[in-house]
Amino acid sequence: MNLTRRGFIKLTGASLATSSLSAMGFGGCGEAVAELVRPFKLTHAKETRNTCTYCSVACGILIYTLGDGALNATSDVIHIEGDPDHPVNRGTLCPKGSALLDIVHAPTRLKVPKYRAPGATAFKEVTWDWALDRIARLMKDDRDKNFIAKNAEGTTVNRWLSTGMLAASASSSETAYLTWKVVRSFGMLVFDNQARV
Amino acid sequence: MRQGGAPPTGKWIGSPLGGVTAPDPLILPDPAKRFSATASRLKGLASGHPMAQWLTFMAQLSEAQHAAATAVAAMPAIEQSLVDHCVAARVPPFAADGHHRHSAWRDVLASLLDRLDRAALPVAAAAVIADVRDHSIDDLENLADGFLRGSLSGEDIGPALYVAAALQVYFTQLAASLEGSGLRLLPQRGLCPCCGSTPVSALITASGQTPGTRYLYCSLCSTAWNHVRVTCITCENSRTLSLKGIDGDSGAVKAETCDDCLTYAKMLYQAKDTKVDPFADDLASLGLDILVSEAGWARHAPNPLLLAG
Repeated sequence: MNLTRRGFIKLTGASLATSSLSAMGFGGCGEAVAELVRPFKLTHAKETRNTCTYCSVACGILIYTLGDGALNATSDVIHIEGDPDHPVNRGTLCPKGSALLDIVHAPTRLKVPKYRAPGATAFKEVTWDWALDRIARLMKDDRDKNFIAKNAEGTTVNRWLSTGMLAASASSSETAYLTWKVVRSFGMLVFDNQARV
Repeated sequence: MRQGGAPPTGKWIGSPLGGVTAPDPLILPDPAKRFSATASRLKGLASGHPMAQWLTFMAQLSEAQHAAATAVAAMPAIEQSLVDHCVAARVPPFAADGHHRHSAWRDVLASLLDRLDRAALPVAAAAVIADVRDHSIDDLENLADGFLRGSLSGEDIGPALYVAAALQVYFTQLAASLEGSGLRLLPQRGLCPCCGSTPVSALITASGQTPGTRYLYCSLCSTAWNHVRVTCITCENSRTLSLKGIDGDSGAVKAETCDDCLTYAKMLYQAKDTKVDPFADDLASLGLDILVSEAGWARHAPNPLLLAG
C-alpha cells in the first residue's frame, strides 16, 4: 500500500502500528495514547450560521448547539457569537446581539399567544385560532370604519390610515415581498417592512 | 439645534473602515520563527503527556529544522513572471508535485540529520538516519518525488519522515520568498495557494485585527490561508458538520466532522489556549484522532510527520 500525503487516512490504534510512529521506535507511545483515550467520550456540538433577530443591520451569527442531532438526544443552544466571515459585522456584535443566548433561554420568552383584555391586569394564554380570529375581526371593523376610497377631489386613493404594521427585523427578500403584497392590498400605508434599529 | 440640521464640522478621527476589516487572505511563513515556535510548543506539550518521548523527538526534529532553515543559504527565488502567470491561471506557483526542486533541499536534509543527537534517539530512529545517509542522490530524489506524489511504498515510511522534514524547510523558504500581495487563493479553498498541498490543521484566531477568523496551515510550505468557518474544508458542504471534542478536556482542539464526505479536520481554538501551534498541537492531539477515526470518520489528510501505511 502506498503512503499518501494528501489522501484520507484513518488513525486508529491498529493503523498506528504501521505508521511513522512505530517505524521510528515510538510504537509504545501510540499504544499508550490509544489506551488512555479509549474510556473517554466524544462531545458533539453543531455550529449553525444564522442572522441576528434584532434589527435591519442583519449581523451574521454562529449558534453552537450541544448534541449530535440524534432523535433521542435533546439539543441545547450553548453559545452564540458573531460570525467572523459575515461581511456586515465581521464577528462583532452590539450589546443586544451579544446577549442573544439569554433571549434563547429567557424564562419569560414568549412561546404561545397571550391576550390581555382592555382594562384587565393580567395576560391569559389563548389559542392561535382565537388570536388570529380576533386580529382579523378588529382589522376588518377598523378598515370598514376608516377606509378612504376617494379624496376631496374625487380621485380614487383606497387608503387605510388608522392601522399600521411593523414587520420582522431579520426579514429575507421573500418575507419583505410578501409583507408588501399583503399589507398594501389592504390599503395600509403606515407600515415598516423591516424594523429599524 | 435640530438633530441633522447641519452637517458635522469636526474631523473624523476613527478608522475609515469603522474598525471592521476583512481578514488577510493569506499569511506567508517566516522561516526564522516557524520551526522554533513548533519546537518550543512541542517541548511544552511533552511534559506529562502519554506520548512524551515521541513529542520530545518531534521537538528535536523541529529544532533541527530550525537550524537547517537558518544555516542553509536561501535558495534562488521563483521568477516573478512565473508566479504572475500561475496566479492568473489560478494554479499554485510551486505545485508540490510538479515543482522542479533545487538541489539545496538535499543540503537541508544533510544539515538536519547532522543536528539530530543520535545517542538520544531510539535505535530505530537512529538506524533510519544512517539509512538515509547511505542513499545515493538519485535515491533521495526518488524518495522526495515519491513522498510529494504519494507513490512511496510502506517500506519507505522511516526515511520518508526525514525527507518530509527537509522538504518542509525547503518549501517554507520558497513560500517566504514570494510576494504575498500578488497571490490569490485557489478555487479549491481547502488547498494551499502556494504549493497546492493539504493543510495540517486549522487555527481559529482570537487576536489581531480579525479575531475569530479561520486559517488553514499548509502541511508542506507552512503558508496560512483564510477559509470560511462552518464549512467542510474537504467538500465545502456545511449541512452535516459537527464539532467533536474529548469530554472534559480544555476544548482547545476539536475535530470538525462532515457526514457528507465522512472526513474530519482538526480545529485549534486560540481563545481556549493562547499558545496553540498548528503543527505541534496537531501531533500532540493524536488521542482525538484515534477517538474520531475509531468512530468512523477519516482524517482529511495526514500530517507529513505522521504518515500511516
